[in-house]
Amino acid sequence: MGRHEPADGHSAGEIASGQQVDQALQIVIGGLLQGSVFAVVALGFSLVYRVTGTINLAQGAFCILGALLTYTLEDGFGWPVALAAVGGGALTGVAGLVIGATVFVPALSQLPVSSMLIMTTGLLTLVEGLVLVIWGSQPYALAAFSGEAPIELFGLRVTSQGFWIAGMAATVFTSLWYLLMRTGAGKVLRACAENPLAARLMGISVPRVTLASFALAAFIGGLGGIFVGPITSLQFDTGRFFTIFGFIAVAIGGLGSFVGAVVGGLLLGVVLQLAAGYVSSLFANSLAFGLLLVVLLWRPNGLFAGGLARRSDVREEQRIYPPIVRLEGRRAAVLAAVALLGALLLPELVSSESVMSSLVITFILYVALLGLDVLMGYAGQVSLGQAGFMAIGGYAAAILATNYGWSPLAGTGVGMLLSVACAAVLSFFTMGLRGNYLALATLAFGLLVDSFAVGLTETTGGPSGLVGIPAFALGPLVFDSTVKMYYLLVALIVVLLLLLLGGMRSGFGRALQAVRTDQTAASALGINVARYKLIALCISAALASLAGSLYAFYFHFLSPEMVGTPRSLELIAMLVMGGEGTLIGPLAGAALLTLLPTVIQPLATYKTFATGALLVLAVRYLPGGIYGATVQRLRHWAAARGKTS
Amino acid sequence: MSATALEVVGLSKTFGGLRAVDGVSFAVPHGSLTALIGPNGAGKTTLFNLITNFFRPDAGEVHFYGSSLARLTPGRIAALGLVRTFQSARIFPGMTTLENALVGAHLQLRAGPLQQMSWLPAARREERTLLARAEALLELVGLARARDVAASELPMGAQKLLEVVRALMARPRLLLLDEPAAGLNDSETAELAALLRAVRANGITVALVEHNMSLVMGVADQVVVLDAGKLLASGTPAQMQADARVIEAYIGIDEAAN
Ligand SMILES: Nc1ncnc2c1ncn2[C@@H]1O[C@H](COP(=O)(O)OP(=O)(O)O)[C@@H](O)[C@H]1O
Ligand SMILES: [Mg+2]
Repeated sequence: MGRHEPADGHSAGEIASGQQVDQALQIVIGGLLQGSVFAVVALGFSLVYRVTGTINLAQGAFCILGALLTYTLEDGFGWPVALAAVGGGALTGVAGLVIGATVFVPALSQLPVSSMLIMTTGLLTLVEGLVLVIWGSQPYALAAFSGEAPIELFGLRVTSQGFWIAGMAATVFTSLWYLLMRTGAGKVLRACAENPLAARLMGISVPRVTLASFALAAFIGGLGGIFVGPITSLQFDTGRFFTIFGFIAVAIGGLGSFVGAVVGGLLLGVVLQLAAGYVSSLFANSLAFGLLLVVLLWRPNGLFAGGLARRSDVREEQRIYPPIVRLEGRRAAVLAAVALLGALLLPELVSSESVMSSLVITFILYVALLGLDVLMGYAGQVSLGQAGFMAIGGYAAAILATNYGWSPLAGTGVGMLLSVACAAVLSFFTMGLRGNYLALATLAFGLLVDSFAVGLTETTGGPSGLVGIPAFALGPLVFDSTVKMYYLLVALIVVLLLLLLGGMRSGFGRALQAVRTDQTAASALGINVARYKLIALCISAALASLAGSLYAFYFHFLSPEMVGTPRSLELIAMLVMGGEGTLIGPLAGAALLTLLPTVIQPLATYKTFATGALLVLAVRYLPGGIYGATVQRLRHWAAARGKTS
Repeated sequence: MSATALEVVGLSKTFGGLRAVDGVSFAVPHGSLTALIGPNGAGKTTLFNLITNFFRPDAGEVHFYGSSLARLTPGRIAALGLVRTFQSARIFPGMTTLENALVGAHLQLRAGPLQQMSWLPAARREERTLLARAEALLELVGLARARDVAASELPMGAQKLLEVVRALMARPRLLLLDEPAAGLNDSETAELAALLRAVRANGITVALVEHNMSLVMGVADQVVVLDAGKLLASGTPAQMQADARVIEAYIGIDEAAN
């Protein structure tokens, strides 16, 4: 759904026949090959979901890891293709085993489902960052397993790698089926999937089985990447496209159903290739996204009613929830006054332009984070596409102000309206569903916006970006320096904080929090769950959009990279690190991740990896975030002082 | 006490061949306290779920002060004044005791999100009124001191009491309580009994599922006995105590309780 599309273009490249039917057949074959890979990723998804009830977003990253490990074994160590492929797959399985044993499985018994999703977001970022550190950001291609010469089949020319891919997908599917349905190990695995409690009573070690299936899924993902490697270009962040297309396949087929994963994958592959072949790849991406939304609305369980319906109340019991951090009123007021004074004086104390600039960026991101906190921290809905709203706000405002002479304020307003409209559509399709569909739909949405930003070169300037954007202005007030932007943002943030504090500390915030932890009990008290989710999503979209506009006006420049999916994932990391559901906390997270790379330049290469690692650690060990930990400290300290005096 | 608060007519629900509720009819008079008893698995919770439309019934109707509840969402039903609690206390983790109680008053709020966000005086005043009421109710059940504690850290009994308080904050006309005394110790049970009498004295109709017979006999005006999804008998506590069929079910309950 963007610049680095898996298995794209190849089938189109192979088309030589002039005949229309042949061409159509070629496209369909290309689609089936691409679909086989989606199906393999989808199988991995379904396996982990069946056993754990969690969607593992890192699944796609294992594809890249497998392919690049194979590349290194082949190219760096001179291993023969077959051996390198086996080695790459095995090493990916080992990586899965390590990540599963140290992070995923221990967290599973402690974290709520939504936190697990965020943790796998962290894992995705972490693996992407690891690949970036080891292999750099350039694209890689593997050598074809049996030469580049295509094979003639009934007058059609099919790439020889295609047979490998089809064979691999068929083998994975039948082996998995055989393992699950015909062996003792499969019986154990199914027992854990269907009733973990009963399985435990029968003496099965559920964590062990979970770990095994997690590693197996990683291995399967690795295989997918290794086999598709020769016909597509892969780089550190291609994994998320595998994740999202694999998820769309799974959503079409039915989450948890193995047949559904295969059918969904193949169907998606064919549809995408046909759309790309006859219209454009931008259209294909939009179609994939549209398909996801339609399936979510029309058949939320997919075509093959996803194996078993997990009871959402089964595993939720012994979960730990973040500590409740509330500052007592008077102390909070004093601290707020001190903080505001400090913020106003700061430009006098900081002389470094780059630090001031980082502060402005921190504040701009904090505006987006305030919205994300309402959505995620209060309403418990995960959005992995906030940067999509930032992009809409940024491009709408920038284009209107630059090309059409609109005032920056009006452009910003239009961006916010557009973003809210998109949020309403997303909400319409996902709000009736429980589980983490919104997260995946927003991830797909973000990637789609990204592909529009890149693809609509005429309007957006394409990958090289939009230049000559004016400074932000309010009537005669023009904010054309870093310090002026700084003060504008301080004022904006004070207003936003007052508004949101007012809302979150009264019935509105309580209703959102009720929705977050128990929708059934919330609706029993007359809370309109769908309505509150909608409002929260709209607020978060509006603020992300506002942040995107300010971002463009501050830099006088906007490129897809600045508001792409990595930005969405970074926002999640900032929020979780700072402290969800606190409004204030995210500022700490934003400052940490923005200022640190500025202050310590060599850190920049490790930024993605560090973001992922910090996110995983924060989800696991710092449930209240930096803010929660600080407030608790403060309380203990105050209590201790109260005792001695 | 002439009006009927709740009328259940021929309600049925099957779960994959199991008749969880089978043609049950009964009425809850306005202002009364009705107890629903029966052994485990008799279908009491399912009956509550059918009344509040958490499950759609296979057959039968429910009327609340004369109007049908068919096809209304649980939220709409709550808005009509029929508020329920859950057998496993479903307090909201991540919120304090006080905040949990305040959530109950959601339907009482006049101010919408926008007014609350702009700190309108009317919205603040409303918040203060609710706060006072919540504190008074928490005081009544002995939870005032725990007001700022995370509700999920309260002992089970306190969580169940809190859930009753939360339901009361909604100012219900009819309160459905599913085993409110399960998990309560003796003093908490006494507090619950006092609360229930106060509730009824305030004109709120109550229907509750309960295993604790001394509590039921002490506070109920009417007892409805359910067994294997069917209505076994109904009448005053004294009548039920004398009913042979009920005594049989009673023994069942005692066995289940032990
Ligand atoms: N959601 C459900 N799905 C399937 N069976 C259910 C469900 N809810 C209740 N049952 C079954 O219906 C019967 C009545 O259950 P319940 O109403 O909980 O009884 P009680 O509350 O009287 O103990 C039980 O056999 C129970 O297993
Ligand atoms: Mg029950």
